[in-house]
Amino acid sequence: MATQSPSPPNSTQDQPQNSATELAQATDGDQQVAGEEAIKQISTPSVFVNSEPVREEQVQNAVKFLSHPKVRGSPIIYRRSFLEKKGLTKEEIDEAFRRVPDPPPSAQAPSTNQDGPVKSSSTIQPHAPGQTLQPTAASHAGMISSMGPLKPGRFHWYHAVLAVGVLAVSGAGTAVLIKNALVPRLKSWIRKVVLEEDNALVKKIDLKPSLAEEAAAAAKAAAAAAADVARASQEMLNSKNTEKRYFEELMNRLDVQVQEMKSMTHAIRRLEGDQHGASDTSLKQPYTNGKAEFDSRSARSSSPPASVEPSVAPHPKSYMDIMAMVQRGERPPNVRDINDLPPNPNQQPSNPRLAPRAKPWEGGHAQNSSSQVFQSQVNGEGSNSMVQDNGVMYQLDGDSSVPWWQRKKAQITEIEDEIKGGPYSVRTNAQPIQSSWVPPQPPPVVMPEAAEAIRRPKPSAQREQFADHQSVSHPPDASDELQRITKISESGGAVEINGGESGLSSSEIQEEQSTQP
Amino acid sequence: MPIFKTPFNGYSVKFSPFYESRLAVATAQNFGILGNGRIHVLDLPPTPSTPISELSSYDTADGVYDLTWSESHESLIVAAIADGSIKLYDVALPPSNNPIRSFHEHTREAHSVDYNATRRDSFITASWDDTIKLWTLDRPASVRTFKEHAYCVYQAVWHPKLSDVFASASGDCTLRIWDVREPGSTMVIPAHEFEILSCDWNKYDDCLIATGSVDKTIKVWDVRSYRVPLAVLNGHGYAVRKVKFSPHRRNYMVSCSYDMTVCLWDFMVEDALVGRYDHHTEFAVGVDMSVLVEGLLASTGWDELVYVWLQGTDPRAP
Repeated sequence: MATQSPSPPNSTQDQPQNSATELAQATDGDQQVAGEEAIKQISTPSVFVNSEPVREEQVQNAVKFLSHPKVRGSPIIYRRSFLEKKGLTKEEIDEAFRRVPDPPPSAQAPSTNQDGPVKSSSTIQPHAPGQTLQPTAASHAGMISSMGPLKPGRFHWYHAVLAVGVLAVSGAGTAVLIKNALVPRLKSWIRKVVLEEDNALVKKIDLKPSLAEEAAAAAKAAAAAAADVARASQEMLNSKNTEKRYFEELMNRLDVQVQEMKSMTHAIRRLEGDQHGASDTSLKQPYTNGKAEFDSRSARSSSPPASVEPSVAPHPKSYMDIMAMVQRGERPPNVRDINDLPPNPNQQPSNPRLAPRAKPWEGGHAQNSSSQVFQSQVNGEGSNSMVQDNGVMYQLDGDSSVPWWQRKKAQITEIEDEIKGGPYSVRTNAQPIQSSWVPPQPPPVVMPEAAEAIRRPKPSAQREQFADHQSVSHPPDASDELQRITKISESGGAVEINGGESGLSSSEIQEEQSTQP
Repeated sequence: MPIFKTPFNGYSVKFSPFYESRLAVATAQNFGILGNGRIHVLDLPPTPSTPISELSSYDTADGVYDLTWSESHESLIVAAIADGSIKLYDVALPPSNNPIRSFHEHTREAHSVDYNATRRDSFITASWDDTIKLWTLDRPASVRTFKEHAYCVYQAVWHPKLSDVFASASGDCTLRIWDVREPGSTMVIPAHEFEILSCDWNKYDDCLIATGSVDKTIKVWDVRSYRVPLAVLNGHGYAVRKVKFSPHRRNYMVSCSYDMTVCLWDFMVEDALVGRYDHHTEFAVGVDMSVLVEGLLASTGWDELVYVWLQGTDPRAP
């Protein structure tokens, strides 16, 4: 793909130049503009690139996310999409992907960190069954705590089931541990103590004080042992509590997720039923998916809901009817079989007869040349084909009709300039439109006579002004508008100066009219 | 103001860049769920009280979701069809010769098409198959395919001045900026928490781009500092379906929404909503501002009507 990209620009750059040579004067303008653009292109694309340095914190978060075993099972594009939505730049995402090693070792890597606290609480005597249970319990604990940061990730049903199973197993594991490891140890401890006591009793001549002493000692030892046991069990309990707390938190979150997923699956089921109609794959899901999507979005973001909650727009009743019909597999009756393939796939498009018109934001000399070209073409064409020159006929033909959109437009901009009254405008500040004339107390409707009274236009000066007025990037002056309106009113609607808008067409019109016999 | 009644539900409307009075409308039967489609080429009447006349129309087997006028040929229209095909129509040829091309590359619905206004030889199409394709008129196949989005791409728009840059809005909630000279996207902006249905570049400021989303807001972004939007425009009651910057004024933009209104905004002002037009009686799905006539707006919606009016006037006024 990268190697292909140089060639199309080269080949396509030839084309505009070829087509430009056909036109009289547009070439210079176009080429100059193209040249300038080429120069600009070299320097400006840097604006459209992320230039921030790679943020280490974000990369580490991303690495944690990517290392999660559940995430490893998902397609790469979803992982990238998730990270992009979190606001990471491409460089950060790439760096995170680079850092995350191959699957097997990294899954254990976070869990080995979690082994520490779990092991310390059950350091008693690792029996064989306890040993096998321990790493699994540790890894499960590790997974649970590393699932914490995964909050906005994807929760599926099997996550919930897995979490429940994990905790059940860890609970069972600790129970078994206690049973297997702790209790026998305790028993043996007590037996040992008792044996020692017996021995001490047998050995000692001086039974009473020694007995008492030893009993006391034994009791102390037993108490110490009991204290140890208590401590051990306390620690076990604490860890279990923390686990339980994590579990509670997780379950709460999962409940929320489940609720929303339920509503989502209902919506999806309903809509998917609509969509996967028997016949066609061309059913339009994403509008309905658009609805389902924002349900799922609210499910995925377990952060506090946005202040603007998107709601499903009420669809028209007939829309629902058609959806129901399609869901049943019926084809709506008004659909016809149409062959819309091209009758001649190699049909050449008709030659362009008009030069491309410069855009208002481009301004400058390109507009000059194209307007002149346009004019020459129009004059040359004469009265050929109405259809093409339709847009121009209005100005050219002799009668006095001005297209309604041009005449009224002048009035409208004036109204906008003056007041922001009327049912549609809400803005309170005056948009600075470079009007040199500020009305004192503007009426809602401009009376042409009043306008004429205020302004006494000079027609010739006006024409020159228009002819010179080539730059388009600012809207017309209000004074020009008024003068045009007064012209129209004076001439009773006849076209002398076209009540045109700024830019290309007005200047064209001026030139055309000035060249008319 | 003149209106036009289409037999099918309207999806998109575009003014011709060559003729002030010409526009094209894309429509789809049965709200675009399942059915045929039709493209109408309309002509504005000299007086506002006469209805809009139809120059020609073209039937398609599946709904038409979007269309664009060519910037090089005044009679060419490129249409994005719901069956994934891209069709080329020549208005100057008789209807029996149309369409003149049909490209079948997208594997799912083609949702948007945009013509390059500076280069004038290429166009891009965005599809629900998560890809954007670059085409030229003379080639029978796409020039490039851009596949990075994780979900449907709803719109792809060329930059008005930089001929190699375009932006795309997708259901994966990101806005991506691309350069055709680069292998992948150059910027990824997580613009909204919900699907982004539309985007458009500012015509006067190279670095500003607006996005409209299902979350009912329009955000204006400066790509140089894209972490925080420049402006957030609230006011629509439902998802924003389309945004378009004015070709004549730097600060103005127009948007249409599922709340059936078309709104005009000035994003530099505190109270940004400048105008609201609630003429549609169903979802307002397509809106356009004329490049040739300042202040001329057109909109279409699922109520099967196309309105053309001047900014500040009532679209429904006779």
